[in-house]
Amino acid sequence: MKPGLARLLTRLYPRGWRERYGEEFVALLEDEAGGGLLAEVRAAVNVVWSALGERISPTPGGKMSRDPLSFGAIVRHPSAYVPIAMSVTALALLLGHIALFGTGPEVVINGRPDEGAVAHLWQLLMAAQLPVLAWFAIRWLPRAPRPTLGVLALQAGAVLAAMAPVFLLGL
Amino acid sequence: MWDNYVMRSTRNVVEEDLGPEMGHYSDPPLLVLASLAGGPKHGHSMIEDIAGLCGTRLGPGTLYGAIARLEQQGWIEPLPAEERRRPYRITGEGLRVFKAKMATLEQFVKAGVARLGAF
Repeated sequence: MKPGLARLLTRLYPRGWRERYGEEFVALLEDEAGGGLLAEVRAAVNVVWSALGERISPTPGGKMSRDPLSFGAIVRHPSAYVPIAMSVTALALLLGHIALFGTGPEVVINGRPDEGAVAHLWQLLMAAQLPVLAWFAIRWLPRAPRPTLGVLALQAGAVLAAMAPVFLLGL
Repeated sequence: MWDNYVMRSTRNVVEEDLGPEMGHYSDPPLLVLASLAGGPKHGHSMIEDIAGLCGTRLGPGTLYGAIARLEQQGWIEPLPAEERRRPYRITGEGLRVFKAKMATLEQFVKAGVARLGAF
C-alpha cells in the first residue's frame, strides 16, 4: 500500500491508539503491498471497519497512549522507582539525623558502641534495593536497552547521592 | 476472494457457502498466540505465518485489534522496534492461556470427530 494511503487510513483510528500503534501499523500496511488492487481494497475495507470498531468499542486497558518500552513507561514500574525511593529515603534519614544531632560520637548500648538506628536503617535501605536493582536490570535490559540504561543511571545517581554524605563526612 | 479474509472480530467469519474455506479457523487472538508461540514476529510475519498455519489471512486491522487486546491482557509483549516494525512475543501468562485453549480445543475436536463417526 502506498505510504500516503497507509497514513490516511491509520488516521481513522483514535488518537491514543495511533500514538501507541500508528507507526508500526503504517509500516505493516506498506508491507502488505504487492497483492494487487483488489488486495489493497480488501485491506483498506478491513482497516476502515477495524478503526470504526476501535472508535465504538476502544481496546480496554488505558496504557494505549504510551510506548510500553519508553523511558517514561519503564520508570513507572515498581522495580524502577522503588530503589530510587529507597535511596532518597536513606538520604533523607541521614541528612535529617545530621541536621538534628550532628555527626557526633557513636551511641553506646549495653556498654558496646553502636552506630544507631538511623545508620542501621540506612544500611537496610541500601542493601535491600540491590536485589530489586538486579531484577530490574535482568528484566528490562534485554527488552529496551537504552531507556533501561537511562533508568539505571537514575538509580545509580540516587545510590551515589545517598552514599555521598557517608563518605564525605566520614560517618 | 473474501472467504478466508477475517475482519475485526469473530463475528461473521463463518461463510454461508460450503466451499473449501469453510474449514478455516478464525479466532484472531488465538491465531496470534499460536503464531507467537513459534517465536517473536512483527505484523507482516504474523500474517504470513498464520496464513501458513491454517489458511486464514488476517486483515491488518483485525491483526492489530487482536494485538492490542492481547497486549492489554498481558498475554503478549512488544520487543524493541526494528526500524519501524515492532516484533511481539508471547508472555509466560500468554503461553499458559494458549496451552489451556489448545487443551479445550483438543477435547472439542475429539468429541466432534467421534460424533462425526456416527454418520
